[in-house]
Amino acid sequence: MTTSSGERPGAGAELLRCDKLVIGHRGQALLPAIDLGIRRGSFLAVIGRNGSGKSTWLRTLLGFLRPLSGRVARSSPPPLLAYMAQAMTIDPLLPVRAIDLVRWGRLSGWGFARPEAGDGVRDRERRALDAAGAAPLAETLFRDLSEGQKQRVLLARLYARDPDVALLDEPTSAMDAVAERQALAGLRALTRERGAAVILVTHLLGLAAEYADEILLFDRDGGAIVHGSPATVFAAPAFKQQYGDLELRHAR
Amino acid sequence: MHGDAPTWQMFIDGWELFRDPILCALGAGAVLGFLGVYVVLRRMVFVSAAVTQSAGLGIALAFYSEIHGGPAVDPIVGAVLLALGATMLLAVDTRSFKVPREVLLGFAFAAGGGATILVGDHISQEAHDIQSILFGSAVLVRGLDLVLVLATGATALGLHLWWYRGLTFASFDPEAARVQGLPVRFLSNFLLVSIGAMAGVSARALGSLPVFAFSVMPAAAALALGARLSWAFAIAALIGAFSGVAGYVLAFFGQLPVGGSQTVVVSGFLLLAFAVRIVARLRAR
Repeated sequence: MTTSSGERPGAGAELLRCDKLVIGHRGQALLPAIDLGIRRGSFLAVIGRNGSGKSTWLRTLLGFLRPLSGRVARSSPPPLLAYMAQAMTIDPLLPVRAIDLVRWGRLSGWGFARPEAGDGVRDRERRALDAAGAAPLAETLFRDLSEGQKQRVLLARLYARDPDVALLDEPTSAMDAVAERQALAGLRALTRERGAAVILVTHLLGLAAEYADEILLFDRDGGAIVHGSPATVFAAPAFKQQYGDLELRHAR
Repeated sequence: MHGDAPTWQMFIDGWELFRDPILCALGAGAVLGFLGVYVVLRRMVFVSAAVTQSAGLGIALAFYSEIHGGPAVDPIVGAVLLALGATMLLAVDTRSFKVPREVLLGFAFAAGGGATILVGDHISQEAHDIQSILFGSAVLVRGLDLVLVLATGATALGLHLWWYRGLTFASFDPEAARVQGLPVRFLSNFLLVSIGAMAGVSARALGSLPVFAFSVMPAAAALALGARLSWAFAIAALIGAFSGVAGYVLAFFGQLPVGGSQTVVVSGFLLLAFAVRIVARLRAR
């Protein structure tokens, strides 16, 4: 997973790895240890009932929470990460335009201390807005947008970053059905065309089955983690126990 | 500022005398107005109150120390040290005490204010100075105070403009900024230190009350007018600078205390902004 030249890891290279990773709060483990690698170009959907540990796992991957044991390893050089949070973390009074938020997506490390980039980057920001279906919203104040539109703008910010690994926590929860499908298609394009890895926490089982390559099911009640192709996970007893037959039919 | 009714000719004749305090108010008003956008949008108004109150205590303690044979500490050093100390309270993790962070800021505000009054009671010969600490009566400022206000303000403003993109991103979406590798903690501490330092040096020259007002009202007015973020910084800086000067001129002609006059002028801008919003809303119906 390391390149001798120091360049970004190539296709199929492992970008993140969970080694015997135990997640939880205040010393209380939520799930059994997780051993999992995230490879370039992969699309992983993370599913599970409310409180099953999906967001906790994502926040542990990001370094916001410490693992109870085990570790999260990153490739060398470290992959470029982008994150879209579950809750709207932008203050509702903040008077910034959508395009300003998308521009923040281009910042890395101490890059803010360098002069602002030129036309090439401006094109990239516009393309990101286009890809997220947010181009008409560019000049609108973010606070004046509907929740679904805000999510599209934040998705555009994630695209503008051109990340190695995109981590998204229910990024379409306020979107309409059409926008949801466009968002999932856009994320799949990110994996296919840009070679990024996408980790998507979602409750949209049908769309997850349609767009993701792999599914990770957290079954906190049964103390189980199921990982595999959508077909494999949906056939697992843990899935049926969690979601029942109705959701299974939707998922298929 | 008592005696015959002041005239513009008197003001012009006395310009040599008024120049430094006016420049001081202009610089402090502009920079505190600019920083105030962070104070207001990050819900740090209480921080600003605690910082300015602590700066007042620092000045009072410096006077006390000098009068009662302690080490000679310049009041501006006392102001900056205690203002920075108050900003550092934000770094304390209060979760183990089972209270929110605001409690510590409330402590700094209440204890700072109370202690300033008590210390002031023991330096009665400097009672006028204590008045100026609390409410501001900057008819005159020392050359050193002016230099420090302008130098600190220019440095803070320069760095804020240079790091504008990083500071705004890290301030208003810290989680995403952290994921993208920005030095969020450094930027957050820089912001607090720049507020603390500017409040500290300004409090000695202008008084705690106008410094607090400059760090909240101009930004609140700019945001109430519906300005975009970058414009809000510019408008707040302009309102702060204008209020500093206009407050001084008003105090001269009205023979009023300078700090109170500056505070009322800058607060008037917020009322004006609210009025503009109300009129705009009524016209939109």
